Amino acid sequence: MNVVVCFRAPPPDPEVDTLARADLLALGHALELAAGGHQTTALLGGTSMEAGSLRLALAAGVDRAVRVAADDMTGTDFHTIGQLLAIALRRIGADLVLTGVRSDDEGLGAAPAAIARHLGANYVAGVEEIAAVSAGTVDVVVRGGGRKRRLRVRLPAVLTIAAGPATLAQRPARAGAAPAIEVIPLSDPEATVVRRRTELLGRLEPASRGVETVTSAAALVAALDRR
Amino acid sequence: MDRSCAGRHDSARVPRRHASARRLLPNLLVPIDLRDGEPTGPSLFALSEGRRVAHVAGATVYAIVMSDRELDGAVVAHLGRAGADKVLLCEGAGLTGPALDATHGAALQAAVERVAPLLVLFPSGGAGMALGPSLAARIGAAFAGAADLEAIDAAGPLTDGVGRVVLRRWRGRRAAYRRLDPVEIERPVVAILAAGVAAELVGGAEIDVDVIACAAPRANSTSELGSEPDDDARIPLARVLVAVDPALGPEAVAQIAAHAPVGVVVVDGDGSAAAIAVSAPEIVIAIGDVEIAAMGTPHGRLGAILFGDGALPPRAVDVLWRLPATAPGTELWSEIGKALSAFAAKGVS
Repeated sequence: MNVVVCFRAPPPDPEVDTLARADLLALGHALELAAGGHQTTALLGGTSMEAGSLRLALAAGVDRAVRVAADDMTGTDFHTIGQLLAIALRRIGADLVLTGVRSDDEGLGAAPAAIARHLGANYVAGVEEIAAVSAGTVDVVVRGGGRKRRLRVRLPAVLTIAAGPATLAQRPARAGAAPAIEVIPLSDPEATVVRRRTELLGRLEPASRGVETVTSAAALVAALDRR
Repeated sequence: MDRSCAGRHDSARVPRRHASARRLLPNLLVPIDLRDGEPTGPSLFALSEGRRVAHVAGATVYAIVMSDRELDGAVVAHLGRAGADKVLLCEGAGLTGPALDATHGAALQAAVERVAPLLVLFPSGGAGMALGPSLAARIGAAFAGAADLEAIDAAGPLTDGVGRVVLRRWRGRRAAYRRLDPVEIERPVVAILAAGVAAELVGGAEIDVDVIACAAPRANSTSELGSEPDDDARIPLARVLVAVDPALGPEAVAQIAAHAPVGVVVVDGDGSAAAIAVSAPEIVIAIGDVEIAAMGTPHGRLGAILFGDGALPPRAVDVLWRLPATAPGTELWSEIGKALSAFAAKGVS
């Protein structure tokens, strides 16, 4: 089974190779599946300056890292991101796609559904455990309607990850150097159908809110409940 | 009661750009979350929010209920009093269970095909994260994961009768707002509202129910192997969420929670992180060094109680109470718990 972990979030600090928490949870599950012998790939849409998450994923033990070369994904709507990443996922050949619940930049959590739609894959949001995998299916745990449910999902599937292992699974050290990050250019004829519809993100407005300092619990509650 | 057959709905056959993306009618659709047969507090709040802006927009508020049986008359009346003009009942096998895209996506699609929406407003704690993004992807809509609903009086109604109803949401990390106007973008908006409280019952109990007969979902794409009660089920339904640093000890959670009124949920910030991440409370209080993963809304407020020189959380806070590093203890937990009782005065869902 080919497992692809999609990093959507830009790195919290561009100067340091780091992973956003949502991406870390998804990577944790991917590495646990890798320990079971499944092929794992990390995928990111973004610039080479934003590829720190891919370097970290390779260091943690994923088999491949692929970057879809894109100038500025932060101003791109989720429909376009889904289409873009689905093109790359078809190239890579993905059975199971794992992503964070939502990205740090826009915080929507909608791109995975767009990926699933473009791939014709099943979509399950808020997965906390990937309990077992058999041929053509994956077992997951999700919450909903006041229940914690164990589901069997047919592959291909796109899962958003709400919880994961506290620490990344350690894979045996690789023989030789880590593989290079592969690049899928946007100049690819198949990818040129992608259009950006920034208006779907909404009009940007400045947030001018200061911090009110208080000195008691009662004052804290009163300030929070004020309208 | 109008009963019609929608036939089989296969998401793979849905047109790339749904008709509702081209034809914006002033319809507000609210998918209702039922627990033990009763609508949740956030569902009633979402209906009341829809009703609040419907006057300005000249809009009709539809409550969408997905079930495998007819609705109890008392539930219909409850939805009407909360603000619904009509109920759309998507009736089909397996629709009473918790929502998944594989099992409920086609039924919701059928409702949207029946009533082209301006906005689809999921309540907090409902099926928003499971169904909202997929619906938006199918109909080419915008999506807002946690948003406030606002009516703009100044702009007035448009010539085609569509008023200016907009949604506001945070960008990630509360760095800026995004304002989504379905008229401006010429597409519907799918959103999840915060878990607020319906201020008053504003509608009438006598409302119509339209039934859409829904075929069984695609076989075998997703099946339930088993389930158990969710210990954190109340978190996404809470208007006020208090997340406590686990380093402060379980007694901190227990003592604060002992004083908290109904609807104020006090949890271990790490142990309940998964449920917090998919919740949208109106008010969040972080105690100690705890990362807040919940997506608040611009109307919401975020408070922090920090000890010593602890750094502010990455998401900007609105209200800060900084205490000495020696402050944590029974006396403080009691003070915080008693202060939370003030939330009961406004009412909590």
